[in-house]
Amino acid sequence: MGAHGQPLAVEAATISEAVALQAAEWFFLLRSGEAAERDRQRWTQWHDADPAHAMAWQKALRVGQTFEQLPPELARPALGRARRGVRQQRRTATRALAALLTVAPAGWLAWRHSPARDWLAEHRTATGERRSVRLADGTQLQLDTASAVDIDFGPHWRRIHLRTGAIHVETAPDPQAPPRPLVVDTAQGRLRALGTRFTVRQDGGHTRIAVFEGAVEARPVGAQGGVTVVQAGQQARMSGVVVAPVQPVGPLADGWTRGILHARDMRLADFAAELGRYRPGIVRCDPAVADLRISGTFQLRDTTPVLDSLPQALPVTVIYRTSWWVTLVAPGG
Amino acid sequence: MHASAPASNSVQLLYAQHHGWLQAWLGRRLGNAFDAADLAQDTFVRVLTAPESSPEKQRGWQLDEPRAYLTLIAKRLLANLYRRRSLEQAYLEALAQVPEAFSPSPEQRALLLETLQAVDAMLDGLAAPVRQAFLLAQLDGLGYAEIAAQLAVSERTVKRYMAQAMARCILLSA
Repeated sequence: MGAHGQPLAVEAATISEAVALQAAEWFFLLRSGEAAERDRQRWTQWHDADPAHAMAWQKALRVGQTFEQLPPELARPALGRARRGVRQQRRTATRALAALLTVAPAGWLAWRHSPARDWLAEHRTATGERRSVRLADGTQLQLDTASAVDIDFGPHWRRIHLRTGAIHVETAPDPQAPPRPLVVDTAQGRLRALGTRFTVRQDGGHTRIAVFEGAVEARPVGAQGGVTVVQAGQQARMSGVVVAPVQPVGPLADGWTRGILHARDMRLADFAAELGRYRPGIVRCDPAVADLRISGTFQLRDTTPVLDSLPQALPVTVIYRTSWWVTLVAPGG
Repeated sequence: MHASAPASNSVQLLYAQHHGWLQAWLGRRLGNAFDAADLAQDTFVRVLTAPESSPEKQRGWQLDEPRAYLTLIAKRLLANLYRRRSLEQAYLEALAQVPEAFSPSPEQRALLLETLQAVDAMLDGLAAPVRQAFLLAQLDGLGYAEIAAQLAVSERTVKRYMAQAMARCILLSA
């Protein structure tokens, strides 16, 4: 343990045009579902050969995800707009501007906190909100902060599409005979519930699965035929291509369903990121204090008192640039 | 300190001699004094933050044609401004079409616009068919065959377009 793994070191690698092109080609090949086992082996070799390759790959996934989160109804006319002449633009542009820019631009980072698509999905929660939904078959669904799902129950399956955020699923036996499988689809793949209670979280370029009862079968989009079964008491992380080896899951990992965050020897940076999911805006952690450790049980309903109590437990100062922009720094730093 | 002092002196000189002129030049193009003042300021910020390796900086800002150099930067900023505003205009028009019940909150609107601006900047400079192919795939979920048919090119070409556009996004993404 201890302070290790500064992910920033990787950022030093630079991506050449050639590497960007390779990453792009791999991205489309693996996403097409046409990749053979041999291709995946070659991809792994390429990916591991150079930190710049891994970094370009991460960026490709992120770009893909950004597009996935854009609501096509708005993005299509905006991005696909006809190129108008400068002269004509000048007339319309000045008038258009006044209406909108109310919030300081927070950029890519904040995007995560407020997915554009959540307001078009069937069930959704705002940042800081949690909600329970009972589905037609009796399955209990709980939505975590800033989450969105679409429900699609057909004659052959019961499908939950997790667009963003996290859900807790407690399956009910299907009233129909023969019973239809219950699946959760994410950007990275499909999870099939085998009579069970589990959580799924869409997180950066990954899907995180934690199983508390029964089992879940995970199938990444880019893996042909390969499935991984995650058993009760286990958790796993799925990319679009592979499922990382399963690990034990703590019994309190579903604390959010009760409005609680359990931290045990958690890095402050991870803690800040976790808390930030329940708060509009950004919670940043200065690298100087990122590796401090925190333990305890924290309520998620109102995160401001939690942030305000941090200086009592750790050598940190909490700076509010606005209520939207909070930074944890070393005292006097 | 020693080396940069004369350089920043020359930037001051550049500013003193040409800032007023540049602002007036921008004012004529924009028809708006506020925007002109902003862009003139931005232009000099670019000059100040130019990389050490830039030939102009290495020559200590002793430029033969300072106004041509300044307008070159200003024109680039101007094109950026127009791009951002035309996107904003198209976005507002699209928002007006969304039913009230689905309308995003003001923060969501602002964040979405911010993301669209970033994506638009990444795609800027791509040839029109490359951009179009990429958007058809990413936003509309069309397959290569459908895109090929729409754009009247081969599937191979579509594949090449896709890689080209994605590579650009990878290089330009934060």
